[in-house]
Amino acid sequence: MAELRPSAPEHRGRIVVSGLTKTFPGVRAVKGLSFTVEPGSVTGFLGPNGAGKTTTLRMLLGLAIPTSGTATIGGLAYGDIDDPSRLVGAVLDATSFHPSRTARNHLRVYCAATGLPDTRADEVLDLVGLRAVADRAVRGYSLGMRQRLGLATALLGDPRVLILDEPANGLDPEGIVWLRGFLRDMAEIDGRTVLVSSHVLSEVEQTVDRVVILARGRLIYEGTLAELASERATLVRTPTPDLLISALTGLAGDVRFERGVDDLIYVYGVEPDAVGHAAWLAHIELRELSPRRSDLEKAFLQLTAAGGVGE
Amino acid sequence: MNRLIRAEFRKIFTTRLWWAMLLGAAAFATLATIGQLAGNGVDSAALMSARTQQAVFASATFGDIFTLVVGVIAITTEYRHFTSRPTFLSEPRRGRIVVAKMVAYAILGLGYATACIAVTVAVAVPWLATEHTTVEWQNHDLIWVIAGDLATITAFAVFGLGVGVLVRNQIAAVIAALAYLLVLGPVMQVIPGVKVIYRWLPGAAADAVTDVGHFNDRLLNPWEGLAVFLAWGVLFALSGWWFTVRRDIP
Repeated sequence: MAELRPSAPEHRGRIVVSGLTKTFPGVRAVKGLSFTVEPGSVTGFLGPNGAGKTTTLRMLLGLAIPTSGTATIGGLAYGDIDDPSRLVGAVLDATSFHPSRTARNHLRVYCAATGLPDTRADEVLDLVGLRAVADRAVRGYSLGMRQRLGLATALLGDPRVLILDEPANGLDPEGIVWLRGFLRDMAEIDGRTVLVSSHVLSEVEQTVDRVVILARGRLIYEGTLAELASERATLVRTPTPDLLISALTGLAGDVRFERGVDDLIYVYGVEPDAVGHAAWLAHIELRELSPRRSDLEKAFLQLTAAGGVGE
Repeated sequence: MNRLIRAEFRKIFTTRLWWAMLLGAAAFATLATIGQLAGNGVDSAALMSARTQQAVFASATFGDIFTLVVGVIAITTEYRHFTSRPTFLSEPRRGRIVVAKMVAYAILGLGYATACIAVTVAVAVPWLATEHTTVEWQNHDLIWVIAGDLATITAFAVFGLGVGVLVRNQIAAVIAALAYLLVLGPVMQVIPGVKVIYRWLPGAAADAVTDVGHFNDRLLNPWEGLAVFLAWGVLFALSGWWFTVRRDIP
């Protein structure tokens, strides 16, 4: 039965991924990935589809065996945790159900497997708001209801660490608001570790404190959302955008551009003053020059798009 | 381990598959028994012979197709619906899941075997009585035939698990298992040269176990059959365990 071990709670819930690599025949899905997820916060695990998020989570959960590197929860590989469902709850797929089994029976299977009383199934059904439909076969469930049932399965053991793969997929707006509050409470009130993956930043933007961003199997960024949002862009309008780009390319530092509609360019990596000066030197007409805090989604897209360079 | 076996039984009894397959197994055993009896007409000398009586009571083994398929589906349905994920998350020591499944399905297989034997006996005993024939339980070693029915029908569930671990695609695995048992086996039996190999395969070894009087010279003798059959069982069980522990869970 559940037995609390004496180790410090903050250590128990920490996720540490170190040098994690997974090679499938012909493909390196995850390449030397390292990051840490701390208890008491909601961490977003972000990246475009195919970036290696699910593969990473499968390795973290002992379902896939890493080619090299380690992934631990509370200092232990998943397979070495006693009674893992009491430490870690995870949902890797919104459809991990037998379609003709009812939600209550689905949960009771895992109550039996982990030695929990059957009453726990009803408790988690209440928690995710599925009690009323608990005796219906899962085949009749909407994707949103399946997401809730997946979450209920993960919550059976009242785990300290919650790992959810794309939990907002298929949820209606009301469900997303509910999930957001639920995850925040799990982290802030209960001090649990919450790791939530998504391929859309805006979906988790209001929920997460920290983000780990992945592209093409590599770590692109690890840190707070605030830092991610602080990268500044300069908005420039000019009738000769190509001329401006070639003028700016000569500047020192890592200058990046993004073409907007018509005569609009976003310039990254240079201060607006420097852009204006370079344009003046090159006799380029500017119609607008303004500093702009890049919005998160754009920063995210830029980071993940840049992730493939050099490979 | 008891928890995991209990969880497997919950999986079994919370969908209707087990019930449909049980009906199928009993129906096959019934039809095979009737076929075997009717084939001898009203020739009471034939119906009295050890050969016929053993063949009649071995008809229960036609239910083994269903325990095989139940075993295959037991594993492949987890991969098909991704319930493999919560299953192996609840117990990451994968070998224990495999053992729990094998125990649960062996027990279920035993239930199927009992049902198949029951319908065979229920058909054969009154049928033989109306033909003024006595059932020679002792003299014709029919008890051993029934023990063989029990062992083989049960073990096919474990064979099925082994197949399901190797071929994770449910439809492919079911088709492969049925094709071997229903088509490939019988065809091999008559091809010269291949016949020698055939007797060592699981289906033929199972048939040898219930061919107590060794009337079919295409098969091994019953004791050899039993040994070979058990060896296959161990092989299927070990390969199921080994591949589950080594391969990634989808």
